[in-house]
Amino acid sequence: MKTLLADGPSALYATEMEQFGRLAGHWATTITYYPADGSPARRVSGEWEFGYALEGRAVLDVWQWPGREELPVTGRSPDQECGLCVRIWDPRLHLWRFTFHGTAHGDQVHMYARQIDDEIVMERAAGGDLVRWTFADITAGTFHWRNERSTDGGRTWRLDQEVDARRLR
Amino acid sequence: MAATVELIAAPWNLGLRPPAPGREPGTWRAPQALLSAGLEARLRPDRVVELDRPPYAFDAQPATRIRNGVTLREQTLRLGEAVQAALAASRFAVVLGGDCSIVLGCLLGARRDGRCGLVHLDGHSDFRHPGNYDAGSSLGSAAGMDLALATGRGELLLTHWPTVGRPLVADEDVIQIGDREDGEAPPLTRFTAQEIQQLGVADLGERVISRLEQRGLDRVWLHLDLDVLDEHVLPAVDSPGRPGLDFPQLAELVATLVGTGRVVGLDLAIYDPERDPDGVYAAPIVDCLAAALTPLATVEAHA
Repeated sequence: MKTLLADGPSALYATEMEQFGRLAGHWATTITYYPADGSPARRVSGEWEFGYALEGRAVLDVWQWPGREELPVTGRSPDQECGLCVRIWDPRLHLWRFTFHGTAHGDQVHMYARQIDDEIVMERAAGGDLVRWTFADITAGTFHWRNERSTDGGRTWRLDQEVDARRLR
Repeated sequence: MAATVELIAAPWNLGLRPPAPGREPGTWRAPQALLSAGLEARLRPDRVVELDRPPYAFDAQPATRIRNGVTLREQTLRLGEAVQAALAASRFAVVLGGDCSIVLGCLLGARRDGRCGLVHLDGHSDFRHPGNYDAGSSLGSAAGMDLALATGRGELLLTHWPTVGRPLVADEDVIQIGDREDGEAPPLTRFTAQEIQQLGVADLGERVISRLEQRGLDRVWLHLDLDVLDEHVLPAVDSPGRPGLDFPQLAELVATLVGTGRVVGLDLAIYDPERDPDGVYAAPIVDCLAAALTPLATVEAHA
């Protein structure tokens, strides 16, 4: 599968590719879940690796939890996630098309993404709700990600999950 | 020098629900029907641009609860480029739809040269968004959401745009004219169909112009959903109703607004030739539009 990964962005959409491409590398994450039923927040470690792919026309990432330090000696259990995200810039839509393919629970998620000010906002309509995943506070060594849901058309948002990421390499 | 016209045909029906299972809405046929009824000869445009007819999807598209949402974004961007090019050439853009979702592309094209207000003539507010209806119960139709989307309410897919961002137009820069529905009023300047009956078209025109002056709006897009007409004079639309304007009243109102020199273009939406099997309504629509645009032959384009 040597043709899957790429060393850098395609020259076709270099500016757009950089939006997610600047995350290329390997990150340690702290993932915090905020249950909707009001029960206490739950925290796990994880790892998140990003890289260019498909001749530089896509940015992939692999989302894993737990992180290597908490990984059982027997390896990742079936319900612990190791999922693939695919992001492809669509010049006809001026948006990123995004899909997540989870291996733990069979999740498949479609979203659309766009840089808005200094954040990258991803969104999907889920039934009557809007779900947003936002990359924020991106620096060379850190970023923050949040997963929010709105049940009122975007007027208010509830934080379901957030990630603090620290670059490993 | 008088403003010249560019006709842009946007033959789509993406924003409407199927009128019957497996049957597409017929608004995509309107541009050709109006051209066949003599619109080009009457307006004598400098240029005619015909966009392709996009495919209509009966099933939901990924990650959106708006019918044809992904296709609509692509078409909106294309229409925006066409409108922008027309305005850049100092032409008055006349966009022939199509359903009301075409107003997004029109505003996108107009906004790329700066602020642009919206006068929204429509028998409905077209203000549905996920905050005021159950988006999970059925696919939404963009032709009933266009004003909400234009003011930045709804999915990112149809509210965030290149260069312009969000919204296409601020609430304060919108005037809605002709809504005949009961229910919660959008937070916009509006003149309902019932109010127009009391005011009369001349007074209405003065009030609209006064509002534009008050807001300092030198550039305005005019959205003209033909269901602002009373169903007795034009039943060949997706959602006919009453009360509404008649053709002379509509021509007078549009002429008054165009005569200010502030209107940079207009779109004509929702005429459905499939609801007009004898073809009797295309000619009065053409007459109305030709009469309404007569001021273009005499007024200076507003700076």
